Amino acid sequence: MSLASPQTEHVEVGQTLPPLTVRFTRATLVRYAGASGDFNPIHFSDHFATELGLPGVIAHGMLTMGSALRVVTDWIGDPARIRSYSVRFSNPVAVPDNADGVEVSYSATVTTVESNVVSIAIEAICDRKKVLGAARAEVDLEA
Amino acid sequence: MPISEAHAGRSYPPTPTYEVSALKIAEFAAALGDENPAYYGDAPVAPPTFVGVVAAAAWESMFTDPELGLELRRIVHGDQRFTYHRPLRAGDRVTATLTIDKVRVRGGAEIISSEVDVHDETGELTCTAAATLVHTREAA
Repeated sequence: MSLASPQTEHVEVGQTLPPLTVRFTRATLVRYAGASGDFNPIHFSDHFATELGLPGVIAHGMLTMGSALRVVTDWIGDPARIRSYSVRFSNPVAVPDNADGVEVSYSATVTTVESNVVSIAIEAICDRKKVLGAARAEVDLEA
Repeated sequence: MPISEAHAGRSYPPTPTYEVSALKIAEFAAALGDENPAYYGDAPVAPPTFVGVVAAAAWESMFTDPELGLELRRIVHGDQRFTYHRPLRAGDRVTATLTIDKVRVRGGAEIISSEVDVHDETGELTCTAAATLVHTREAA
């Protein structure tokens, strides 16, 4: 297993991480529901979702959150180096019932470097809207 | 009696022990489309947001508390913060304990700040999952 990690001395504030774009379809949501045990019907039923004023079925916030962190873990290699991770769910990710689903794009920028600990701001965009707010991960590169 | 500010400080007993398995970790990582090798094989670590799976059992204690009158399909996740002391690994036997920190009622919305502590079987705190959950009450 090769989990090459960036060296602290080579990490700078303002540095951007390799971006990532993912696609969510209804199948992605069914799979995440089963894997996570979150069977809230707003994630699979248009009937329940629209009844609650949503545009239709929306992705689990935790799916978007978990998927967005890949930008960081792909970069650091070893996910055990994550110290904290927080997000605000600012806009729902509507997932249409078709073959294409919806695309979500993630990007990330280093905001602080203090000895081994690097803070990273993550941006998640779907349909030109930010779907995560104040998304931030802290990693310990020497862990 | 719906949930109110008075429920701040309410906590629930630890959830039944949850055993983290390699199979469940792999299933969860695959659901995220994540091929990081750390999540596969015989001795994987769990993806950081896997803690949400363990925390969900604790959220369930709150969602089904008859005194709060919450309805799962009316709950949306406002924010989520995880703090890690160590990653969860296959073979860990953990429990999750939920405390309601704060409740704010704004019109038909009940904004619940909760904290879930996840301990392993030695009593070590592995991580904390703090969430703001927004429950929209049906108009009477």
